[in-house]
Amino acid sequence: MQWLTQEFLTNRIMQNTNENFSFKKYAWTQFKKNKIALVSLYLLLILVVIALFAPYIANDRPLYCEYEGNTLYPAFVADTRSDSIFNTEGKFVQFLQYDITDWRQLDLTAVIWAPIPYSAGSMDRYNRDYAAPGGEQRFKNPAGEIIDIPARFRHRLGTDGIGRDLASGLIHGTRISLMVGLVSMGIASVIGIILGALAGFFGDTKLKMPRIKYWLTLFGIFMGLFYGFGQRKYELAAGFNEGFGGGMWEIFISILIIIGVTVFFRLLSKPLQFGKLKEEVSVPIDTFVSRGIELLNSIPRLLLIITITAVVERSIWIVMMIIGITGWTRIARFTRAEFLRIRSLEFVQAAESLGYSSARTIFKHALPNSLAPVFVSIAFGIASAILIESGLSFLGIGVPDDIVTWGSLLNLGRQNLEAWWLIIYPGIAIFITITIYNMIAEASRDALDPRLKS
Amino acid sequence: MLKYTIKRILTFIPMLIAISLIAFLISINAPGDPVERLSKAAGNEGSADQQSGASKKIKQELRKKLGLDLPIFYMSITDLASCDTLYKVQDKYHKANLEALNHQSGNWEAVSNYYKKLLVLQKESQQLNAKHIVEEDANLSLNTVNEARNQFGFEVGSLLETAEEEIIVIKFDKMEVLVTSNTFLSHLAAPLALVKTAHAAMFANATRWKTYIPAINWYGGKNQYHIWLVGDGKYRKGLIRGDFGISYIDGQPIADKIWQKVWISFGLSLVSIFLAYLISIPIGIYSAYKKDSAVDKGMSLILFILYSMPSFFVGTLLLLQFANPDNLSWFPVSGIQDPTLFDSNWSMWMKFKHRLPFLILPIITYTYGSFAFLSRIMRVGMIDIVSQDYIRTARAKGLGEGKVILKHALRNSLLPVITVFSAIFPMAIGGSIIIEMIFSIPGMGLEIYNSLLNYDYPMIITVFTLSGFLTMVGYLVADLLYAVVDPRISYK
Repeated sequence: MQWLTQEFLTNRIMQNTNENFSFKKYAWTQFKKNKIALVSLYLLLILVVIALFAPYIANDRPLYCEYEGNTLYPAFVADTRSDSIFNTEGKFVQFLQYDITDWRQLDLTAVIWAPIPYSAGSMDRYNRDYAAPGGEQRFKNPAGEIIDIPARFRHRLGTDGIGRDLASGLIHGTRISLMVGLVSMGIASVIGIILGALAGFFGDTKLKMPRIKYWLTLFGIFMGLFYGFGQRKYELAAGFNEGFGGGMWEIFISILIIIGVTVFFRLLSKPLQFGKLKEEVSVPIDTFVSRGIELLNSIPRLLLIITITAVVERSIWIVMMIIGITGWTRIARFTRAEFLRIRSLEFVQAAESLGYSSARTIFKHALPNSLAPVFVSIAFGIASAILIESGLSFLGIGVPDDIVTWGSLLNLGRQNLEAWWLIIYPGIAIFITITIYNMIAEASRDALDPRLKS
Repeated sequence: MLKYTIKRILTFIPMLIAISLIAFLISINAPGDPVERLSKAAGNEGSADQQSGASKKIKQELRKKLGLDLPIFYMSITDLASCDTLYKVQDKYHKANLEALNHQSGNWEAVSNYYKKLLVLQKESQQLNAKHIVEEDANLSLNTVNEARNQFGFEVGSLLETAEEEIIVIKFDKMEVLVTSNTFLSHLAAPLALVKTAHAAMFANATRWKTYIPAINWYGGKNQYHIWLVGDGKYRKGLIRGDFGISYIDGQPIADKIWQKVWISFGLSLVSIFLAYLISIPIGIYSAYKKDSAVDKGMSLILFILYSMPSFFVGTLLLLQFANPDNLSWFPVSGIQDPTLFDSNWSMWMKFKHRLPFLILPIITYTYGSFAFLSRIMRVGMIDIVSQDYIRTARAKGLGEGKVILKHALRNSLLPVITVFSAIFPMAIGGSIIIEMIFSIPGMGLEIYNSLLNYDYPMIITVFTLSGFLTMVGYLVADLLYAVVDPRISYK
């Protein structure tokens, strides 16, 4: 017993020491040494918090208020909410539609405003025509008089030509920028990692299957595309008419159909495997992927994105998708290179010789060990995705006019150079975000892969 | 080397075909009807009455000239129910609608019958002469007749463009009411009834199962893509012979338009890349020379920050500071010349002197974009090379530091710089859309921007294909230059 316990303890200690020297911990210590990168990481967290709580940081509805004896939390309810307000004696006072009511005009007995008491899209008609941050700003008080603006309601960063508050626009723009980075790079990573892993792991010769299965798989993909996209053209269009969620759902169904049909044809090949049809052929998957990367790389990316956005409907979600679909090549290249290296290492060969399926070897054993350089290129990719989106909004292409983004604000400033605040502040916001991502990417490259250190 | 070059050029061909296919795929999905747009540009727009005669014929000819009456591609993949000659329907919206109807019914004969009956109804309703009716029946005013007729025409028109069952039923009801309440429309009752029967037949004889079976149609060489690419020997010469088609904005040949604009963008990118080299190479050398000194650290941080600064922000800031009456009005805001002062008979020197102030801010912005990137690459490359053995050997054999850096290290650190140089070719044709828009420089970038705003797709896909081609040329030139700079690299 004593002996067992001792061994157990030694094992524990060994494990603990091993944990202390795990790669993740090592990388994190390395990362922490870079003070600028650490500051960037904290700044990114702040940006994420701003993006998450944007509607409560900048809102023209109060967070809390007392109106005619009723306690209301207008910022926390749906835009479409409307209430009949009765006073303390139970007499009807007013029918309140939350989104179009000007809360500043109401006689509120107690109120807590959001830190920035303006919403991104709402227009302050007393401060149209580019009200400067420090300049004269007007305000209509509940008594109906037009007065100099009280400090609480001052547009701290000024307004644009139709009286939208810039500070509020920046806060809501944070949301869009971070989302662009996340969604587009999410799409790019999924495509890039899968294609890169397949190309690197199998190469041109290692993916083998009976000839009939190969043919029927190709045929199955063709039929799957026909049933999934060709046949469901009108369902997909109807889905997108309902909104982005509906469209995504229809695309999801389509992809399921494609997979289903392909699998069906693959199963169909089972009874047909005899004679010449049974001979194994190799699938040149590396060639396919490499040619695809080469093709996409030979078209200037911004031109490609701009051309596609000009044809499709204007929507921020579609812009994100396009940035993602055109941005996977770098990730795929890195994954492929890493898989080429890992493929010949012992643990992968061990997994293969144990008879694990290729899928298990790839996703469970090889992939976790090849993600370090991929992570770095995703971080750089997020920076460039944000840059591209703000460039597109700056050009006024792709993103609808009613969505306030940093790029569109900057474009308003370009059109009216007197409104310097519309140039400086959004520009700094874009610049800081991109710098943060680049800093993090570079520091994590140094931490994860010391060979690449520069 | 020659063999290698030829081999590389041969690989261009499949790539170019793929790029042209992508470009073409995008352009055929573009919204709007080019014929309508072109005839609008030519001023042939008029009311429905005027349009019926001469201008319709002009449009038809235009359609034929643009090759829009041909199938889109060599082949098409549809389902068994679809009609393989649907491309002959001229109106883009009618075509889409017929496709949707056919998808619902699966019986092409019934669908086309319905369409024909609808066209008959439309024709008859258009032939109605309001003046005649008013002369015959004094109780009617010209206004009521016109209104009823226009209403009816509108309903028929929208029926031709909708496949949604509920809307179709509503339209039928409305037309029924119009026909019964206005006696002068009563002769339309018979064709309307025919349309309704045809509509019912479409679903009574539906063969939906046919839409689940794929079918491949083969059209042969006489198709839009083929003619766009290699020409038809009559109107068009095709992309490969330098005929890029005509612009939808003004009907000008696209090749001419590009030829006029490309020099401005090419000149700007050439000058700016040259300047970027001029600044970044010394920075790289200095950083490597004084590695880890305070200057080097500070410089690399500044370069990093500059690298993250979007060039459109820099451009706008420059405008704000130096071309703004509120701050400093040193430079003009936009364009490359002042049309009131510029004289095309000036000597080269005079032209240059006149244009210089217009060009300074754009060149700074252009240069800025590549400078920060290039400097970082140069610095990393130089530092990497200076720490290598042969540099130590050079120092050990007593060479001066200047000679070591300039003669031994510099040449080897030029490789990444060449990569940047290869980007100049596509940049010339594509221009920098954002920078040219900020400063209103009439180069390719602004041209593309305007084409996008005006849906001028022939221009866009031409630029798209050409810049794909030039990118590949750029890669090839870069690879060949590698071999020139670095004797270790050879392509044998």
